[in-house]
Amino acid sequence: MEGTGLAFELQQVSFAYGPEQPVLGDVTLDILQGSWVSLVGPNGCGKSTLAKLLGGLLAVNSGSIIVEGTPLLRETVQQIRPRIGMVFQNPDNQFIGATVEEDIAFGLEGRCLPRAEMVERVKRYADKLEIGHLLAKHPAELSGGQKQRVAVAAILAMEPGIVIFDEASSMLDEKARGELLNILREMKHSGKYTMISITHDAEEIMASDRAIVLRDGRIAADLKPRDLFGDEELLDSCRLIAPYEVRLVRELCRQGIRLPAGYCGEEVAEALWQLYSNK
Amino acid sequence: MAIVFEQVSFAYDERSLWRHSALEEVSLELGTGVFAAVAGSTGSGKSTLLQHFNGILKPTGGKVRVLDFTLQAGEKQPPLRELRRRVGLVFQFPEQQLFEDTVEKDLCFGPLNFGMGAEEARERASKALALVGLDDSFLPRNPFHLSGGQMRKVAIASVLAMDPDVIALDEPTATLDPQSRAELAELLSRLQREQGKTVIVVTHRMEEMLPYVDTWIVMKGGAKVFQGSPAELVRESGWLERECGLAVPACITTWNNIAARFGLEDEEPCLTSEKLAWRVARLLERPGQSIMREGGG
Amino acid sequence: MRNKLLFGRSIDTGSWVHGVDPRAKLTGMILYLAAIVIVGSWPALGIAAAFSLAYMISTRIPLKYYAKAAKPLWVLMVFIFAVQCLTVKQGDELFRLGSWALYTGGLSSGLIAASRMALLVSFTAILTFTTTPGLLNQGLAGVLTPLRVIGISAQRLTLMMSIALRFIPTILDETHKILKAQAARGADLKEMPWKEKGKMLVSLLVPVTVSAFRRAEELVLSMESRGYVIGAPRSEYHLLSWRLRDTLFVVSYVALVAAVLSIRWI
Repeated sequence: MEGTGLAFELQQVSFAYGPEQPVLGDVTLDILQGSWVSLVGPNGCGKSTLAKLLGGLLAVNSGSIIVEGTPLLRETVQQIRPRIGMVFQNPDNQFIGATVEEDIAFGLEGRCLPRAEMVERVKRYADKLEIGHLLAKHPAELSGGQKQRVAVAAILAMEPGIVIFDEASSMLDEKARGELLNILREMKHSGKYTMISITHDAEEIMASDRAIVLRDGRIAADLKPRDLFGDEELLDSCRLIAPYEVRLVRELCRQGIRLPAGYCGEEVAEALWQLYSNK
Repeated sequence: MAIVFEQVSFAYDERSLWRHSALEEVSLELGTGVFAAVAGSTGSGKSTLLQHFNGILKPTGGKVRVLDFTLQAGEKQPPLRELRRRVGLVFQFPEQQLFEDTVEKDLCFGPLNFGMGAEEARERASKALALVGLDDSFLPRNPFHLSGGQMRKVAIASVLAMDPDVIALDEPTATLDPQSRAELAELLSRLQREQGKTVIVVTHRMEEMLPYVDTWIVMKGGAKVFQGSPAELVRESGWLERECGLAVPACITTWNNIAARFGLEDEEPCLTSEKLAWRVARLLERPGQSIMREGGG
Repeated sequence: MRNKLLFGRSIDTGSWVHGVDPRAKLTGMILYLAAIVIVGSWPALGIAAAFSLAYMISTRIPLKYYAKAAKPLWVLMVFIFAVQCLTVKQGDELFRLGSWALYTGGLSSGLIAASRMALLVSFTAILTFTTTPGLLNQGLAGVLTPLRVIGISAQRLTLMMSIALRFIPTILDETHKILKAQAARGADLKEMPWKEKGKMLVSLLVPVTVSAFRRAEELVLSMESRGYVIGAPRSEYHLLSWRLRDTLFVVSYVALVAAVLSIRWI
């Protein structure tokens, strides 16, 4: 990674939709390149607004945002935007093209890429997201999960260094949600992306490196996801619920049974069996 | 029986070139006062099934009996007004159906349509609002200025205001935050327990409904592949996950793993972390008891 | 899900018509429209019908799909037929009802007018059946390029149209859903006296409008975040290349117009 090693540097960022509607106040934070950050908080805490500021879709009222070393200003926004991709909540409302193929190509056309390269990228990223067989389909013929894959492919095809997921999995069914989470995990694993996800989903938060908690437009906590789920008061204030495994370990602890944290799936049963056998 | 389906089939665009079948010979019975949930992957026919409960869709094959109404394929349908009042149907993202400039007017829309007087409708509105846990201070407010969770509750109340005997909801918790989802599930359970309503929920997040539901139905490709109690669902979750694309939640897999290890398969499953922790603690207190197959340590 | 069948639905059979340059198809359609307007006699109608049939068959798309495309407009066709029957008073009198009489001329021009309508609608379906919306847009942009002279950007115009086309099925689906939701609250348009229908329309229009605006807003965000800037130069994903076949395609339509014209004047 070049530059400062920081994807975002925010200095005392404030934003309001009007004098009576302050949304964000005095937000200062750094986000490392290649990291995966979850933005969490109750509805109306300003997390979606922060995502739009980061993506250059809104401009700050005061304070500054530096993206990979370049200050985000009115003059630089067109130059910075290509480095940031955004995936939104509603799979239908971000499907711009009339077919999968055209939707992936939409952003590339704006980049004025030569046709040969567009065709190559459309194919490469469609294959990567396993939608290669759907290229000619109309959005009405796709499921929500498939449409969200198209959205991710369309973003990744533009080869941004930063990808922001704004509640991207919240309208999907359980299976599609799990699949999207795996895509995020792979993206993280590739090391090519700085990822910011706004989410209520416990598993998604758990998979990220860092959780930033917003409340009333300010940063209320900035911690490891595991610590977030260990803090019941903080969870309540974000209206979150810990993953089942975490809750189980906590309840077991209340019953006097101590299991080291970090078990998942079958390991819990196995660990309990060990405890039982050793008695 | 509140609801009886006899080999109900349904196809969209029945007589056209683009006919496509959404339900295939579904038979089911749901008793009065149950809390039932319908699960299954996207496109399995869950929503189509739900829309048969109050005659929004009419079967293209077979017979639907709801309360004392019968809808039979090929026969002239009876007037549906009374059925629609007695079976409230809440669609996905019901907040999108709100249109009045005050919560009260929106809540009165249903009751007035069903011929109630203005005074009675207002009374119903206030009662329905209380049922979803909102007080009368919401009545004069503009529904479009409420938060997403509150709008959802108002929209559900707008159906409850008709005082239906049966209430059927399509993915009522979708896109809400986790605690609002849990609260909504609890609220529906209260409607069933305290008001004696029959509640039927379509869901793809099984975990949040598990503590309350007494009958589970699983759909696949327009057909019913499972109906039974939570305990039966837990026992059959393996093949339902493998073959029907059911997203089985962690609380079920964890229980199944522990049950297999400790030989508890015949017990009532413990599906909340509290219950399971308590059960495990009892096991560890007295090693050797209630272990049938593997002896003790 | 189902409404997609009405708008922008292409059916890929891989016929040679599918491969024709969309600009050629659009030009052909305009010529066809001209020909249909000129058709005024049975022989001319016969030529147009034979021509249409030949093209429909060569798309290898079952003819019933074309019939289906014309079906929603049958009321209009009956109306046009009736107007002709009522107003044209030429030829022999067939029968009389009080002061009104049906003449052979009226019957004949009624039938011709209705058939013209049916031909036009089902034939223009060739365009949408054999061309994906994206290609169609690009073709349209090509045909509209001369508008630049009067300061209208063809690219912007076609993007607008393509998004409208893309969202019509979604919004129709949603309207359908809200109709059902309000029916569940006792406002069933089908069971309602006409007088009250107007009132009920509000319960439909408000939610649909609100949601259409929300969609538009989200779509704008999505387009902006994918780097869309109004008026900025863009490259094109679909590359159009004009070939001999396309020229021949247009020529066949010119021939049709010529044939129909000659019948009219002879």
